[in-house]
Amino acid sequence: MTAHADAHDGHHAHIKLEYQPSIPIPNGKLCLWLFLSTEIMFFAGLIGAYIVLRFGSPTGTWPAPHTVHLVEWIGAMNTFVLICSSVTIVLALEAARSNQVAFAKGWLFLTLILGCVFLGVKMYEYNSKFKHGIYPSRPHSLIYERADLIYVQAVRLKLRNEISKLEAMKGSEGDFTPAQVKAGMPERLETCKAFLTNVVEWTEAKAARGDNPLEGKAAIENMAAFIYPLHHSHEAWDYHVATLTAEAKEVQARAAVLQKEIDALNEEKGTLQKSVPESAPAPTETEPAEATPAAAAASGSVSTTAVSLVRLQDADPDAAAKIGIIDEKIGLLNAQLDRMSSRLDFHKTLSDPKFEHGVNEVYSWINLPMFIPSGNMWASTYFLMTGFHAIHVLVGLIVFGCVLTYRLDASKAHILENTGLYWHFVDLVWIFLFPILYLF
Amino acid sequence: MAAHSKHESHGSLGQYLAVFVALLVLTAISFAVGNSQSLRENSPSVMMAMMMAVSCAKALLVILFFMHLKWEANWKYVLTVPASLMSLFLVLMLVPDIGRRYRVYTEERKLNAAQPILHHSTTPPASGEHADHDPADAANH
Repeated sequence: MTAHADAHDGHHAHIKLEYQPSIPIPNGKLCLWLFLSTEIMFFAGLIGAYIVLRFGSPTGTWPAPHTVHLVEWIGAMNTFVLICSSVTIVLALEAARSNQVAFAKGWLFLTLILGCVFLGVKMYEYNSKFKHGIYPSRPHSLIYERADLIYVQAVRLKLRNEISKLEAMKGSEGDFTPAQVKAGMPERLETCKAFLTNVVEWTEAKAARGDNPLEGKAAIENMAAFIYPLHHSHEAWDYHVATLTAEAKEVQARAAVLQKEIDALNEEKGTLQKSVPESAPAPTETEPAEATPAAAAASGSVSTTAVSLVRLQDADPDAAAKIGIIDEKIGLLNAQLDRMSSRLDFHKTLSDPKFEHGVNEVYSWINLPMFIPSGNMWASTYFLMTGFHAIHVLVGLIVFGCVLTYRLDASKAHILENTGLYWHFVDLVWIFLFPILYLF
Repeated sequence: MAAHSKHESHGSLGQYLAVFVALLVLTAISFAVGNSQSLRENSPSVMMAMMMAVSCAKALLVILFFMHLKWEANWKYVLTVPASLMSLFLVLMLVPDIGRRYRVYTEERKLNAAQPILHHSTTPPASGEHADHDPADAANH
């Protein structure tokens, strides 16, 4: 029957060919959906890589949000901004479909503004990371993932560079100009030098020469925590102060032992010098805690005996050689005592509560390398994922700018629809990025 | 009839507002879950699973209502299901990598891996210990 009818129709009228697309949507929309389905996989790849790196990092090393200056509520606010923009672009589409041109433009403009707010907040967030030396890669990144001697060397190098920079600033007379003094350059120089000797070199010596590797590691970690604490808690600060108190006791005890050794050496030297008439005065007994006057007295005795040593050399060359060795020993021990007393003096600065949030926080100019376990890995994933998302937002904003030039009536609704689909996808990606980057 | 079908294919203002409010509530839930210290300390995996569930719910709301997939014809499955499966597959295929390569550390890998901090696990050294040893003697050299 149908065959007959078709044949019949064919005889009498033109065959009406009806174009039947395989997918009943406009080509533009189809293309956009195909593009979005590739985008789903693109971001899934990034998120998958993040999951591997995040959960594959050594247990307990992934930085907490505040350690890397990530503020949860700012992220939540950005989520809110994107959700609002998703609503406004839907309303723009609805307005265009019902030919309310002015409304469509208004809603789309509002979407553009909200997108700009999102990017602005993102810029603020990036800036707060850059300011603290958190970059995706070297040489800008100040993050070290291990508290080892390489880290200590990096701190030393940074301080050395800062010192030579400050020294180079000085005028021909070797003084800072009044403007530089006003800007606090002499204080900076003093701070850098004090840190170099009393923190970096002290820690270096302890870690390199100590016979307990755990103690050496703890010393480096204490230094790292003083520069950039990972936990801003009172317990962490109390621990830091307790460590210093214990160290003070230990160093004082060692200083007492050293003082005794120096005294013994001086005595030995005294007996050797008996043969010459102008012998050095006997070193005075000093309290071990007050190491500085003791060291000064000891070094004084060394310089006064230098004259008598020449005389002795003529009389008894053997005794002179012995005294020379003893003087050398005393000199070394005195240098050790000096370093100990200098470190003990520096304890006042080390236990100053203003450093509770770290040296980098107090001196914003210093920018010392920081120890953040898995910090570089965190920075790489964070900047990669939010960066790609931000690029998508930027593309969306450019498209909004172009679409805004049209008269947005029902005939142009399909453009707005496709733009909206893209923008919703950007929102969708952020819906997943926000919890995994800010809250995990 | 025509008005009804129009309503069917686009969703109404009330519907959009309801979705908007639902998205805000869900965001607040994931924020509260993420900031719950007890959940973070006791069962972080539950916390993460909850946040992922919330995110999936939000994504579904956006796709269904804002992207109009609720009202589209069956072509929507052709374009979204394979891509979603592929992305799920992609993420799941990386999971064995965590188990095989990262859970077991070779000595070589340990040398370069990030260090967990000792913080608080070590007590301050007792006074007088190693009194005869001077770690500062290498300083300034």
